[in-house]
Amino acid sequence: MTDQIESALNREYEAGFISEIESETFAPGLDEDVVRRISAMKNEPEWMLEWRLKAFQIWQKMEEPDWAHVDYPKIDYQAISYYSAPKSMADKPKSLDEVDPALLETYEKLGIPLYEQQMLAGVAVDAVFDSVSVVTTFKEKLEEAGVIFCPISEAVHKYPDLVKKYLGKVVPQHDNYFAALNCAVFTDGSFVYIPKGTRCPMELSTYFRINEQNTGQFERTLIVADEGSYVSYLEGCTAPQRDENQLHAAVVELVALDNAEIKYSTVQNWYPGDEEGKGGIYNFVTKRGICHTNAKISWTQVETGSAVTWKYPSCILKGDNSIGEFYSVALTRGKQQADTGTKMVHLGKNTKSTIISKGISAGRSNNSYRGLVQMHSTAQGARNFTQCDSLLIGDQCGAHTFPYVESRNPSAIVEHEATTSKVSDEQMFLCLQRGLDPEKAVSMIVNGFCKEVFKELPMEFAVEAGKLLEISLEGSVG
Amino acid sequence: MNAWFENALNRAVSSVEQASDALSSLKAASLAQLQQTPWPTRKTEAWKYTSLKALENCHFDSSQPAALAESQQFTRLQALDGLNIIIQDGHIQTDISALKVPTGMTINTLSQLGEVPSWVAEHFGQAKPQKHIFGLVNDVLANDVIVIDVVAEANINTPIKILHQASEGKEGQSRVLVRLGEKAKAAIVEVFMADSNSSFTNGFSEYFIAPNAKLEHYRFQLQSQKAMSAGGCHFSLQSKAKLNSTFVGFGSELSRTDIDILHKGEFADAKLNAVYLVDGNEQFDLHSTIEHEVPNCTSLENVRGIAGGKGKATFNGRIHIHRDAQKTLAELNNRNLLLTDTAQINTKPELEIYADDVRCAHGATVAQLDDASLYYLRSRGVSKEHALVMLNYGFINALVDEMSNEALSEWLRPILQQRFAEMGE
Amino acid sequence: MLEISQLQASVEEKNILKGLNLTVKPGEVHAIMGPNGAGKSTLGYVLSGREGYEVDSGSVTFNGQDLLDMEPEERAREGLFLAFQYPTEIPGVSNLEFMKAAVDAKRKANGEEELSSADFLKKAKAACAQVNLPLAFLKRGVNEGFSGGEKKRNEIMQMLLLEPKVCILDESDSGLDIDALKVVAEGVNSQRDDSRSFIVVTHYQRLLDYIKPDFVHVLSEGKIVRSGDASLAHELESAGYAWLETYSEDGEA
Repeated sequence: MTDQIESALNREYEAGFISEIESETFAPGLDEDVVRRISAMKNEPEWMLEWRLKAFQIWQKMEEPDWAHVDYPKIDYQAISYYSAPKSMADKPKSLDEVDPALLETYEKLGIPLYEQQMLAGVAVDAVFDSVSVVTTFKEKLEEAGVIFCPISEAVHKYPDLVKKYLGKVVPQHDNYFAALNCAVFTDGSFVYIPKGTRCPMELSTYFRINEQNTGQFERTLIVADEGSYVSYLEGCTAPQRDENQLHAAVVELVALDNAEIKYSTVQNWYPGDEEGKGGIYNFVTKRGICHTNAKISWTQVETGSAVTWKYPSCILKGDNSIGEFYSVALTRGKQQADTGTKMVHLGKNTKSTIISKGISAGRSNNSYRGLVQMHSTAQGARNFTQCDSLLIGDQCGAHTFPYVESRNPSAIVEHEATTSKVSDEQMFLCLQRGLDPEKAVSMIVNGFCKEVFKELPMEFAVEAGKLLEISLEGSVG
Repeated sequence: MNAWFENALNRAVSSVEQASDALSSLKAASLAQLQQTPWPTRKTEAWKYTSLKALENCHFDSSQPAALAESQQFTRLQALDGLNIIIQDGHIQTDISALKVPTGMTINTLSQLGEVPSWVAEHFGQAKPQKHIFGLVNDVLANDVIVIDVVAEANINTPIKILHQASEGKEGQSRVLVRLGEKAKAAIVEVFMADSNSSFTNGFSEYFIAPNAKLEHYRFQLQSQKAMSAGGCHFSLQSKAKLNSTFVGFGSELSRTDIDILHKGEFADAKLNAVYLVDGNEQFDLHSTIEHEVPNCTSLENVRGIAGGKGKATFNGRIHIHRDAQKTLAELNNRNLLLTDTAQINTKPELEIYADDVRCAHGATVAQLDDASLYYLRSRGVSKEHALVMLNYGFINALVDEMSNEALSEWLRPILQQRFAEMGE
Repeated sequence: MLEISQLQASVEEKNILKGLNLTVKPGEVHAIMGPNGAGKSTLGYVLSGREGYEVDSGSVTFNGQDLLDMEPEERAREGLFLAFQYPTEIPGVSNLEFMKAAVDAKRKANGEEELSSADFLKKAKAACAQVNLPLAFLKRGVNEGFSGGEKKRNEIMQMLLLEPKVCILDESDSGLDIDALKVVAEGVNSQRDDSRSFIVVTHYQRLLDYIKPDFVHVLSEGKIVRSGDASLAHELESAGYAWLETYSEDGEA
């Protein structure tokens, strides 16, 4: 029975193709000059360059963290190229018609058509290809509502005050090793601003694609939801199948001002490497949001890709009555390693947080939940509930739970629970006896296990996430 | 490097130079490892929440014990059923050879034995992992080792009480090694007490439980305020062995206990109940690790803590299921009460699982006493202060109730109540 | 004995009692009936001093003292007893230990000696038997894992042990089958005498078949809107509470 389950989980990586696109790519290596050149490529103002250089200095003095439950060879930061952009993008195409068709085709193949008329009606997309944003759709429609949705490189020019006010305020330059690196060399990403009292008329989405070899992707996303506003933001990522490991060190900062709500969903499907652990993306990401009074930030993530994942989307619950949520499904197989979880920092009164984490380990993978719930002495009446469940498939994988609970307020209540289980022979037998094939049976059981998280995803992504788990099952059971 | 550790290392070096028994190579190995071990700071994961500052600049005398000055509780404890072995400031005070040891059991000290028995040399340091810095210190610096051997099938009903006292300005390093033969049964009680003055006790014990043997174990670390303590107890269980252990720890300027349970044989069963209570400026830090190395074992851990005053309580409970340990059943439950705005609780229940057909769960909660319960008691005429003591006590009472040695639990109850009454202030 | 005058009280800033008047003399049994949400439970909580139940105005004197000025435990020692509608579970604190502490506290407040453990145990066993609870319940945690009926009987047992002067029974009949109801009623009736008074709060007339009230009051929207003798309860039973709406409209007209 276990064999059936395992083979049911072996899947092809559908996004593994390489696009033949001529790119301008920096030679590998990192020094101050590279930082200056990235800044120059983006035509950045002096303040932005200074900010990068300061971060670079900080990074040079830092050490790569080793506390996570992951194991990978030492990264040679001088062997990575820190900038790559399709040559065709150098002329800054004014409309989709001017964009290299090969680029558009790449997104088409990934199921993300960039022509507005072909798209899902309610979703605006920023498509980032290696180090540049290719196109942002529905810009005009959003502008009507006062919503800013553009590449961050563009925001630096067009909205310098907003960028200066919020960039690096949630995740400071010295926050951690990978964040400091990102601050120095970030290339593109999305900037979102939702004005006061505005409900963003459509879902916003960024699709990240790494294509070029030996290139790191260092995107940076900043979302500011002004008082009383609401936005739902989706993020997707893929990369070609290559034998070398590639580094992806992103930073995402969310600011939810009084009474605002941000819903941030991720379907992470970077190339995970092959069954033997060759190749794949190192996904070292810092995501954090700050909630002001009565604000709410909800992180939902479905993590199926990457060779190594190091990621803890977090909430600083600064304002009274603010709410933080973290819903996560992490599926690891082959030799994937994931160390992911969240931090909920309760500062304000009556703040609430909910953490639901579902880890599924198969093959020879290792899947860890790592979380921190902190109740500060100011967090009168705060509450946290955490539920971490692990599902193990096969006896060669590992599932781990490392929750840190720190409470300094007697009126705060923290509850943490963790369980572990397997896809039982009985469950499988029942499904088979009722006429389901093993693939469907596993997918049903796994989907059922993840249900609490999937229901948090926006419709379009719920379908994609379900598919991700299901792709794995296609035609792989003999 | 700090004064205490430097001094300890110096003592360790000369101790190893002088050692010539069968343990000397073990001691040398521990010393070598100790010399490689950096002094823990708050960046050391195992010491993330507990500062060693209080110990760092202390100079204690470990050369000889102070005169025995007994508290009433200590005297009462000796009067309970069982044999007493008194350790004052790390020095064994009881004439072991004069003890009326039940048939089937031998109790010795290493110094008495002259030659180290081969089983002792084989087992010493084998249940205690080398990761504990104070354990390494103890390997080298323990003045003597109490060696208890229970032969196969012996059913010892007399509890063996190993009773420690610490006095002002003293440092005590004690060590216990216990072996239970197949199908043997025994009960060991370890109690640590001290006055409120500055002292340091570092007591480690190791238990080897052979197939089908059954150990009933108690460890109460009741030092508080300025009486610092470190130490641990470590259990190695062979197939179908059974362990039932109760731990009670009070906080002090520095209180740290490490408990390790190693499942080495199939169908072994371990149960650990632990309680910690901190108050004033005290801290308490309990690290427990349960290693499931083989299939079909069970472990059940219930840990409850209460922090009052400006106290800080820390719990780290790790369950490690190895690749081969299929059909493991492991549960850990940690509940904490925070009594004041200035107290803090840190807890980290950890699961590390490498086998799929297992049932593992852990849960942790931190909260305050339930207002409804407090009101209910008061509505019947019980004063707020008394109600708080009752509720605090009620929070841990189930674990005290589960102690099978009733005389010992009766001895413990008033001590706990006294502690709660002080915490309420 | 108990004099409630123009009592106004609120919970979470919501006004629940809106000028309630009630006088209870020694030996009297008063039934308070009324629809859900009328403030019946609030009355019991306010009288016993539960946190979060704020008295906005009015007064309550109990044996000539200002009841509202006392801590919950002082009220209890003075002889006020509330049988909870939903008794709290307190795992770890045994029933016996709890009641001993309560009885001792009361005796001490009255300048009496504490009972010896043996004497108390004797009393506790008798009380346990009277409400038909197995003796093992004395050893169990307070209400821990008790069924609804067992909890209610445990409340009556506490009442028997504490020998209060005024007992407020808050929906002590809810969720009980007829046998359990009889046990509760018998417990109460056994305590009735010239000096002890009862306030029986209930939604249904059923309990009053077994505990005969001297007075019946109808509580609606935080006020007593009608008072009468036992026959009023029967009237309510047949007419229901729907008439209250017209009644209060008339009243205001």
